[in-house]
Amino acid sequence: MSSYDFTPIPLNRRRRPTSRRFLVIVVLVSSMVLTLLGRLYYVQLLEKDKPTQTSGLLHDAAIVVPAPRGVIVDSTGAPLVDNTSVQVLTVSYDTLQQRPDHGAAVLAALADLLDTSASALAAEITPCSPKVPAPCWTGEPYQPVPVAANVPSSVVFAVGEHREQFPGVAIETESLADYPGGSLASHVLGYTSQITAADKKKDPSLSDSDQIGVSGLEESYDSILRGVDGKQVVQLSPQGYSVGAGSYTAPTQGDTLVTSINAKVQKLAESSLAQQIKDSRAAGKPATSGAVVVMDPQTGRVIAAASYPTYDPQEFVGGISDADYAKLTAPSANDPLLSRAIAGQYAPGSTFKLITSSSLLTHKEINTTSDYPCPGSVTIDGRVKTNYDSEVLGNINLENALGYSCDTFFYEPEANEYYRDQARVAKGEKPLEYLQAMAADYGVGSSPGIDLPAGEQAAGSYADRETRLARWNANKTQYCADAKSGFPDDKNAADRAYLTELAKENCTDGWRYRAGDNADMAIGQGETTMSPLQLAVAYSALVNGGRIWEPTIGWAEVNAAGKVVKTIKPTLRDRVPVKQSYLNYIANSLNFSRGWAVSGAFAYLGVPYKNEIGGKTGTAEVFGKADTSWLATWGPIVKTKTGAVSAKFVVVGMVEQAGTGATAAGPMLKRIWDGLLGYKQPAVIKGSQPATTLPKLKPQVQVSGK
Amino acid sequence: MSSVLSARDPRAPFSLTLGEPARVRRRGFDGVLAAAALALALCGAVLVWAATRDVSRAAGGNPNGFLYRHLVNILIAGGLAVLASRLDLRMLRVTGPVLYVLGVLGLLAVFAVGSTINGAHAWITLGAGFEVQPSEFMKLGLIIGLAVLFSVRARHREHLPPTTGDVLLALILIALPLGMVMLQPDLGSAMVLAAASFGVLIAAGVRARWTIGLILATVLVAILVVKTGMLADYQLARFASFTHPDKDLQGAAYNVHQAQIAIANGGLFGTGLFHGPQTNGGFVPEQQTDFVFSVAGEEFGLLGGAVLIALFAVLCWRGLRIARRADRTGQLIAVGIVCWFAFQAFQNIGMNIGLMPVTGLPLPFVSYGGSSMFAQGLALGVLEGIRRHSLAED
Repeated sequence: MSSYDFTPIPLNRRRRPTSRRFLVIVVLVSSMVLTLLGRLYYVQLLEKDKPTQTSGLLHDAAIVVPAPRGVIVDSTGAPLVDNTSVQVLTVSYDTLQQRPDHGAAVLAALADLLDTSASALAAEITPCSPKVPAPCWTGEPYQPVPVAANVPSSVVFAVGEHREQFPGVAIETESLADYPGGSLASHVLGYTSQITAADKKKDPSLSDSDQIGVSGLEESYDSILRGVDGKQVVQLSPQGYSVGAGSYTAPTQGDTLVTSINAKVQKLAESSLAQQIKDSRAAGKPATSGAVVVMDPQTGRVIAAASYPTYDPQEFVGGISDADYAKLTAPSANDPLLSRAIAGQYAPGSTFKLITSSSLLTHKEINTTSDYPCPGSVTIDGRVKTNYDSEVLGNINLENALGYSCDTFFYEPEANEYYRDQARVAKGEKPLEYLQAMAADYGVGSSPGIDLPAGEQAAGSYADRETRLARWNANKTQYCADAKSGFPDDKNAADRAYLTELAKENCTDGWRYRAGDNADMAIGQGETTMSPLQLAVAYSALVNGGRIWEPTIGWAEVNAAGKVVKTIKPTLRDRVPVKQSYLNYIANSLNFSRGWAVSGAFAYLGVPYKNEIGGKTGTAEVFGKADTSWLATWGPIVKTKTGAVSAKFVVVGMVEQAGTGATAAGPMLKRIWDGLLGYKQPAVIKGSQPATTLPKLKPQVQVSGK
Repeated sequence: MSSVLSARDPRAPFSLTLGEPARVRRRGFDGVLAAAALALALCGAVLVWAATRDVSRAAGGNPNGFLYRHLVNILIAGGLAVLASRLDLRMLRVTGPVLYVLGVLGLLAVFAVGSTINGAHAWITLGAGFEVQPSEFMKLGLIIGLAVLFSVRARHREHLPPTTGDVLLALILIALPLGMVMLQPDLGSAMVLAAASFGVLIAAGVRARWTIGLILATVLVAILVVKTGMLADYQLARFASFTHPDKDLQGAAYNVHQAQIAIANGGLFGTGLFHGPQTNGGFVPEQQTDFVFSVAGEEFGLLGGAVLIALFAVLCWRGLRIARRADRTGQLIAVGIVCWFAFQAFQNIGMNIGLMPVTGLPLPFVSYGGSSMFAQGLALGVLEGIRRHSLAED
C-alpha cells in the first residue's frame, strides 16, 4: 500500500461516470425489485395451495407415568420381590415461570424445607439449553422435575398443608423394588436395570424411564412383570411450555409371577449351605462355594435353588453404583453374582454312576445278578487307576459296587466298551458310544431349558471321539508350537518338562479318545461336568419313571385382580431309555436303610426317616484343588401301584473343596431333610410334599404415580 | 480573514465542516435517503415488536424487551450515521485501507476467540450479552478499500478501464475477507461481499471480459465448493431444501416452510398488527432477525411487503443518484453500498418468499441485531457524506 499516492485528486479532472456502467447497475437493482414484487404477489394472492399451519396452535405431549413392576411370590403367595413406594417431590418449571417473581419465593421456601439453596433448586429445574449450562433439567420444560426422593413425611405434610404457598410443587409416589427376604433367592430372582439405548432399539414401546429385567426371573419374565406405563397428556404452546393438562391414563401394574419356590425351604437351604461352608472351613477345608437344589421330581418344578456366596439384590434397586458393582465383581469376592446351582458346572464324581449304571445295564454290558471284580487298581492303556483309598472288595454285584462306590468295578466294562467301539471305527463303522449317549439322554451336554435367561444355565459336558477331534483340529497348531518352544516363560523346570511333554503328546495324539477317558467318564471325572440343577434333573428321572423335565420356576401369571392369567406348565423333554426295573434296582441299591458307610447314609444313621430316603455321594477330584463334595438324595420314597420307586423331593447338594460327599454334602442335606420331613420341628413345607395348588392372591392395591 | 483557508478552497488538505457556509450545509443532506432509511428502521421496530411480544411473554420475559433494545440500536446507528456523514471524503481515502485492515483483523479475531451462533463461527462475544459480528463491518471496509484502490491507481488514466494489475490486486483484496467469511462458514455474508465487490468493479469500468470471466469463475467455484464438501452440512441441507421444498419439513426446510405459511396468511391487506397467528404462535424461528419480512407479510399483507420493497427501491435510487454526482472515489463507494443493500435485501426477502435459499442474513435496517444495524448506519452516513462532499465541490 505504500506505493499509493494519497494526494487529493484534482477536482477539475473529475469525470462524469459513463451512463453505460450505471445502466447495468440500475437494471440489476430494478430487476431485483421487480422479481421480489412479482413473487410476493404470487405467494400472497395467486398461489392455489397456500401452505397452512397443520400443527394447530397448541399441541399435546405426554408425560410417562411409569407402571409399577409386578411382584414375584413363592408357592404360598409370600412375596419374594415386592414393591415399596417412595415419596418424590417434584417442581414444575412452567408453573413457577408464570408467577410474577418467577417462583423465587416458592423456591426459597422449598430450599428451607429441603436444606438446600434456592439457587441450586433453580439451576436443577431450569431446562438445559446452549445458554444454560449444567446443572440443568435435561427433560422437557413441561415435565415436573424430581428434586428430592424419599422425602421425610414432615416435608410431605408441609407441602401438602400449604398448597397455596407451593404452587407447582407436588409430591408423587414412585414405586421401587423391595426384597423382604434380603438376599433370599437372589440368584433366581435376578435384578432390573434402567433401559439402555440398545433395549429401546429392540423394543420401541419402552420409555426412557422404564426398568427392565436383566437377570434371573426378572429378565425371563420381564414382559409380564413390566406392566403398561400410563401417561399424563399436557397441552403445549408452540414454544413447548405447558398451558394445560389433558387426559390422564393410569399405569397398569405388571402382573404377579407365582413361582414354585418355597421361601421357607429356600431359606433353610441357604442357611444349611452357609452353615456347611462354615463347618467345612472350621474343619480345615477351603470350602469356597456351594449350591443346593430342591426339586419336585414328578413335575420338574424347582422348590429351592441356593448358591453360596450370594449378594443383596437391594443394591441394584435404582441403579447399582460403580463402586458397589466393582466390589461384587472383584476377584476376592469369589463371584457372588454367579448362580452356582444353575449356571455352575462341576465334575459330578460318583454321583454320575447313576448314568453309568443305566448305560451298562441297558446295553447288557453287566447284569444285576452277576458279580464283577472290584480290585484295588486296574491298568488301562498302561495307566494305573485305583479305587478311592485303593480298597480291594473282590467280586461284587452292582448293588454293592454302588453302595461301596467301587470305581474299578466300572472301569473294566467301560474300557471294554471303548475297545469294541475302536474295533467298529477300524472297520469304518460309527462308534456306538453307549455311555455318551446315555449321558446325553440324562441331559448332560445340553442346556437344561429352565425358565431363566439362556446365559444363566450351564449345559455340562462330556468327552467323546468327535469333540476330541474337533478340539484338536482347532488347537493343534498351538499344541505343536508349544511342544517346539518348550514353554520358555515358565520358570519352574519340572513344570516346563511336564507341560512340554503334554504339548508333544497333544500335538501328535491329541485327537485320540482313549480307553482311560471312557473309564474317567464312568466315574464322573475327566471332562465330565454337570450343574447341580442338571444332577437334580437326572436323579428326578430315577424316581419319576425316567422322565427328563425342563425344570421350571415360574408357576403362574396372576393379574392385579388376583385372577390367574396363565399357568406355566413344565415341559417334558425326554424319557431316558432305561427299563423301570433297572431304575428300581439302582434306587433300591442306594436306599439309606442300607447304611452304606461311604454313601450319604452315614449322616442319617440315627434318624427315623432314614428308610424313607436314598442317595448317592460323589467326591470329585479337581486338579490342583481339594475334592468337591456331592450328594444327590430323594425321598420320601413311595411305591407306585406298578411297583416303581417314586419320591416327592429330589435334593442335590454340592460344596466345592470340602472333601468327601459324606463329610460335607451329607450333613448339609440332612438339615434340609429334617426340615422337609419335620424331624424335631414342624415341617417347613405343608404336608412334607410339594405344593399342588396355586396360592390365592388378594387383589393388589394399585401403587401409581398420581 | 483571507489567510484562513475556506473549506471550499481546493487547496485545503482536509475540509472541516466547521466554518462551512450555511447554504452548503443545508444542501448537503439527502432528506429522501435518510427518510427512507428511517422509515425502514421504524417499520423494523414495529415488526420486531410483533415478532417477539407473545413469545417473550410466554417464556416469562419482558414482552417489550426486543422493541426497547431495537430502538436503542436505531439511536446508536443514527448517531453513527451522523458521525460518518461528517467524515470528509478525502479522509475516507486515507481511512479506507485502515478500515479494510481493521475488518480483516476482526475476522481473524473471530477465528481466535469467536463464538458460534446458528452454525456460523462469526461472532465475538464482548461480555454482558453483547456480541459483534465483524463481517458486517467488513462489508463497508471492503467497499471503501476497493474504491480507494481503483480511484488512486487510476488517477492519471481515468478515461481508460482499470489495468489487469489493478483488477488482480482488487481480486486479492476481495478474496481475503471472502475466503475468511466462507470459512466461518457464513455463506450469506460472503454472497453480499461478492455482490458489493461486483458492483464496484462494474462502476470502475473493468472490461466486459473481466466481468463475464468473473461470473463464469464464480459459477465454477460454486460447483467445486459443493462437490468437494467445503460447505457445512447445514448449508447443503438448506440448498437441498430450497430445490426440494417439500422434503424434510421438520428439518432443514422447517424455517422456510413456517415463514411461507406466515406470508401466505397475509393476503392483500394482512391480518393486522399483532393479529398474525403464525407470528404470535412463534412458529417461525429467528423471526425477529432473518425472517422479519414474514411478519410484514402476515400482518400487513402484500401491501405491507410492497411498501418495504418500495422503500428499498427508494434507498437504491437515492444512493445511485448520489453516486452519479460524486467524484470517482465517492462514486465507487456509493455504488458498492447500493449493491450491498440491494443484494442483501433481495437475498433476505427472497429466502422469506421461497425465491432464494436460506442463508443467515438480516434485512438491512429492518431486522433486529446491533452489528448489522450499526454497519448500515455507518454506510448510510458515508453515502450522505459523499453527497455533501460532491455538492460542496460543485
